[in-house]
Amino acid sequence: MVNFLLRRVYLLCITALILTVIAFSLEHWTVHTQIEGNILTHYLDYLVSIGQGDFGLSITNNEPIFRTGLVAFASTLELCLFAFLIASVIGIPLGVFAGLERNNGLDYTIMSIALIGLALPVFWVAIIFTVLPNAIGWMMPIDGNISPLFEVPVVTGFLFIDSLLVTEQYQFDAFINHMAHIILPSSVLAIFLISEIIRLTRHAITMVMKSNYIKAALTKGLTRRQIVFRHVLKNALPPIIYQLRLQISTIISFSMAIEIVFSYQGAGMWLFASIQQEDYLVLPSAILIISGFILIKSILIDLLLVIISPIKRKSLYADQ
Amino acid sequence: MRYIPIYFSLFLLSACYQTESTMTDSLIYCAAKAPKSFNPQISHDVATLDATTHQLYNRLVKVDPISQRFSADIASHWEVNDAKTEYTFYLRKDINFHHTAYFKPSRQLNADDIIFSFKRMLSQDHPFYSINNAINNELYNRPFSGLVGDIIKIDQYTLRFLLNKPNATLLANLAAHYAVIHSQEYGQQLLLAGHPEKIDYSPIGTGPYQFKSITNNRVIRYQAHRTPWQAPANINNLIFDITPNSSKRYAKLLSGECDIMTNPASSQVDQISKNPKVALSSKPTGNISLIALNSKKAPFNDVAIRHALSEAIDLKTILSAVFFETAMSTQNLLPDHSWAYNPRISKATYTPQESLVELKKNHFDFSRTIRILAPAKNSIFNPNFYKTAELIQANWAEIGVKSVIVLLNATELNQVLSHGDYDIYLTGKNPYIKDPDNLFRPLLSCNASPLEGNTSQWCDAQVQSLLDTTLLEVNFIQRVKNYYQLQEYIQAQRIYQPIAHMLRFDVFNKYISNLQVNSLTGINFQFVKKGNVINKEETQ
Repeated sequence: MVNFLLRRVYLLCITALILTVIAFSLEHWTVHTQIEGNILTHYLDYLVSIGQGDFGLSITNNEPIFRTGLVAFASTLELCLFAFLIASVIGIPLGVFAGLERNNGLDYTIMSIALIGLALPVFWVAIIFTVLPNAIGWMMPIDGNISPLFEVPVVTGFLFIDSLLVTEQYQFDAFINHMAHIILPSSVLAIFLISEIIRLTRHAITMVMKSNYIKAALTKGLTRRQIVFRHVLKNALPPIIYQLRLQISTIISFSMAIEIVFSYQGAGMWLFASIQQEDYLVLPSAILIISGFILIKSILIDLLLVIISPIKRKSLYADQ
Repeated sequence: MRYIPIYFSLFLLSACYQTESTMTDSLIYCAAKAPKSFNPQISHDVATLDATTHQLYNRLVKVDPISQRFSADIASHWEVNDAKTEYTFYLRKDINFHHTAYFKPSRQLNADDIIFSFKRMLSQDHPFYSINNAINNELYNRPFSGLVGDIIKIDQYTLRFLLNKPNATLLANLAAHYAVIHSQEYGQQLLLAGHPEKIDYSPIGTGPYQFKSITNNRVIRYQAHRTPWQAPANINNLIFDITPNSSKRYAKLLSGECDIMTNPASSQVDQISKNPKVALSSKPTGNISLIALNSKKAPFNDVAIRHALSEAIDLKTILSAVFFETAMSTQNLLPDHSWAYNPRISKATYTPQESLVELKKNHFDFSRTIRILAPAKNSIFNPNFYKTAELIQANWAEIGVKSVIVLLNATELNQVLSHGDYDIYLTGKNPYIKDPDNLFRPLLSCNASPLEGNTSQWCDAQVQSLLDTTLLEVNFIQRVKNYYQLQEYIQAQRIYQPIAHMLRFDVFNKYISNLQVNSLTGINFQFVKKGNVINKEETQ
């Protein structure tokens, strides 16, 4: 286990080092003002300061970039998680049905819907979603994370949690308002995710349904319902999680595009506004924060897989 | 499967969502831009005026929105001496400054605050004279700084303005957006703390709303003045939600996320005016889009050619193709709501064939190429300079006049304007104060350079004398007569060809009432009332 972790951390360090070189190059070419010393000493100074969490101050509001970036990224993560929740609730059952009824009418219908979801450009769907609620007379907010009426202090950066911390002042109004604001952008993101989850689930279910232990269960006389809930779902989950891991960076990119359309105050809007205001120091910091998260996340997902899947556990002992 | 109930309960929970517009003590105004600062003395853009002048501050005098006369604000009344060179103002004694988290006033407003505020524009010895580049605002403040010699404190609540010479525009200057009153005590506190720059970004005034916070240059929060000296505001929380995209502003207005929005897209105006749920307020502004004809250079140094070529331009088409419905066609430099507006001046009509005859009669050189100069960047005066220039070019081509369009950025433009190397120039002018002199002088005075506004390079003794005598004239009827005469002269000489006066649009939900919009000083939320949305919908 220790060896497994060490190997992962080793890989993480190398990747992080390459990322810092990219970030430093960006910083060096855009806003770097240090004259004394050579480029190597500048790079080492840069490493020391980011190691201390000092990414510099924003030129627009004089606030530490690292903190602003983390808060913005927390909003993006919240959006992704909420979209993921919606997508799982809709996508997994549909994928299961499609997998169980493979090559049937239901399968074709579900897969056609999934294909349409994949084919639609996210930014276009987002724009449609900003117009749609009004067109059908559904009063849904289309701009921002929460109404400016609510002054929610930043504690965790996750607005769902922060809005619950101010219930004394606003009861649950701020929480509900944030919920209403997140529904449309997360639904757009969920369209892409649902298509992906349906495809992955269908494939995983088909593979599991072909395995011998399912045939054995059938001969044992178990009902279809028992087989699906007891054996199929449990065994189909690890490959789905493993595949979704690869999609996380795509999901974050999509969510950043969606944020700009909905003016949702996350990492996408933060970067967009910084570029507009020529606050270029934000760019290298954003690269480090976002890619750092993706690196750490991949290790955590590997660990999760190891915990829930006995087959994956083999990789723990691969060095022996 | 077990998550399905959770998901649906979340959706049901969001059904509890009430639109923001149901909260009657809060008002959300969807603005297009963030203000540059919170002091209209140093920032003169519409966004700053909207966010500051009427909300945060008061002036010595103001313009009554109904009678359009000067009325008391901080000054209860005023007197003028016989020579018309001294104005004595008597201040109200009950005016409180804002009491905020960053400033707790120990006294009420007195003459020191007035002197402190005005001296920032007048005296280089003032500690705030050069703070936040206030010094660069000379162009805007010149009408004021040029006419006042000194301000003397008579007692705590009386002060006297000493003018360099008699000038009828003092009251108009004191009612202008830049004549707002700050707290001297707050200024001293900031100097002691070593942060004088905060005076323009964490403002303290006496207006109906006090500043609370600004977040990410996106949300500005105000709350009603805690100890108001005027009628208290009906709205407790005033919020400016900066939404740069006009379609989104309109969508937010419809979904109840905004109560009032400004500046709808010109293409949306027609649709908005048909929507029964919202009201559209359109106010003509003093901003005028015009064509300057370079009178120093042939062929436009000839009045007959100026007439002929300007009457070969189809202004109606320009208005509908470039401005849509966001501007009002005009023949006059002054807007029709100005007290000096002359409705009887002769009208220029689109008569290309008569123009052609006139050009031939005056031996116009048809082989000559006329240079149409325009800024590369569109501005509040014209949503599309290039299209306007193209239409003029096409009109002239029909009668055989050749022209070339030159679009330049600001730096190059200034050089060309200084050298006078152009034939016509597409431009505009926005007056800052409610006095015609503020519009006419930069456009026509011999002392005004092209960079200051005199892009026709006009200079003649008759206009100059009319401008100067009218400025000194104290008889109101005579001033009106003089300006009537001036407008007739401008039209006869065709010094400028006005295209249109720009309109300012604000859209608000029907439950909003008493919204006041002043085209020169900005929007005023002091008297705004917000009805109960739900009750209104039920009764309909």
